Amino acid sequence: MIDPIITARGVDIFYDTNQAIHNVDLDILPNKVTAFIGPSGCGKSTFLRAINRMNDLIPTCRVTGDMKIAGQDIYAPAVDVVALRAQVGMVFQKPNPFPKSIFENVAYGLKIHKITDSKTEMQDRVEWSLRSAGLWAEVADRLDQPGNSLSGGQQQRLCIARAIAVKPKVILMDEPCSALDPIATAVVEELIDNLRKDYTIVIVTHSMQQAARVSQRTAFFHLGTLVEFGDTKTIFTTPEDERTQNYITGRIG
Amino acid sequence: MEHEHIVKKFDKNLEKIKATIVEMGGLVGLQVNDATAVLSSYDKAEVDRITAYDRIINGLNKDIHDRAEILIVRRQPMALDLRQTLAPINISGELERIGDHAKSTAKRAHIIHNAPPEDATLDMIGQMSTKVQAMLADVIIAYANADIDLAAKIRAQDKDVDMLYKQVVKTVIETLTKTPDKAESLIHITLIARNFERIGDHVCNVARYVHQIVTGEDLKASADPSELRLDK
Repeated sequence: MIDPIITARGVDIFYDTNQAIHNVDLDILPNKVTAFIGPSGCGKSTFLRAINRMNDLIPTCRVTGDMKIAGQDIYAPAVDVVALRAQVGMVFQKPNPFPKSIFENVAYGLKIHKITDSKTEMQDRVEWSLRSAGLWAEVADRLDQPGNSLSGGQQQRLCIARAIAVKPKVILMDEPCSALDPIATAVVEELIDNLRKDYTIVIVTHSMQQAARVSQRTAFFHLGTLVEFGDTKTIFTTPEDERTQNYITGRIG
Repeated sequence: MEHEHIVKKFDKNLEKIKATIVEMGGLVGLQVNDATAVLSSYDKAEVDRITAYDRIINGLNKDIHDRAEILIVRRQPMALDLRQTLAPINISGELERIGDHAKSTAKRAHIIHNAPPEDATLDMIGQMSTKVQAMLADVIIAYANADIDLAAKIRAQDKDVDMLYKQVVKTVIETLTKTPDKAESLIHITLIARNFERIGDHVCNVARYVHQIVTGEDLKASADPSELRLDK
């Protein structure tokens, strides 16, 4: 039995008095891709953002319950949120490179977290990150050009390179392909599959086919509750809950 | 009770596949019935007509394959929808095989007509046919209504067909020693009985697919494929 890397117990999330997440218990296994699916407003992105405390940026948002990563309570008062976000990287729906060069985009986290001062080591780590993100061959000869000069798919892989440069344990992805064309999507999906050897990935997606393709575990959220969580194959072939079946088959529930 | 799809055409596509299976099941049932009738009242034109069913049944089989293929491309079905799309491909294959057995039976009618075997064997063939026709009619109902209880009852009836088949074989062996001049028609009677026995098996397979559509459980799955590896 593999120990989970992320454990959530009795997690409730509120925006003011509105409860967005109700009493969620969830174990995320290491080196697996876990997909969160569910209709808009079901709370899947809210729950994803609770894993690296992105919700802290919303003043009205309150998280209660127990959320641990590698046994550490990430909501404990002593936790350094910046360090947490290096451990739990995030890739967003729209690629968001900084208005800096390709090199600087990847080196940014290394500088912020003071991972290295050595120029050679910095260069090595940037190259390694870009190679890991499957982007090196496309940008090696233009590292000084702006990050936003790249295509959408390349920009998203640049953001993935930026996240993995600081060697996180977990990468959270919030609809990472929704702004990409099918070819760029396929490239990112192939990358996700390669990255799971070294990282734990949690992905929110509205594409059921994408969840079925890239993930090993799938969680279905509905109206702020975790309805069903299990092996992706089971969820998409023989789900237990009628609400899951109605959602994945596009039926009126 | 299944909920409707948000995309209405999805429901229509699945309903059309189901309706085609029901139509195919009806035609195959008729072919089995007519092939049995022609054994006792031989008519060459009737045999030709029964044989010609084949083209219509093959056409329906192809139609089901085409519809399932286009549905997969357009709708990417999942879970129950996927089983409702894939199972008809297999079910139509089973029905098509039943049609082949009916055709094979009809084609042997002239031999039976020219050299009639013992009445007892023909009686047993008649019983087998009645039994498998009832099973076939029921399995189409079970499929149309997603009725797994009825599907289970149909599977349980196959042993009756198998028993009749064994009786035919036993009677043929006994008769052969007494009347060796009837060897040819007795061999054909055995092959006809074999056709009905196989029809019973195909009906049971359809009943298993009905169970699989509803529950997701494959009753035919036995061993883990890795256990079957010869190089172990």
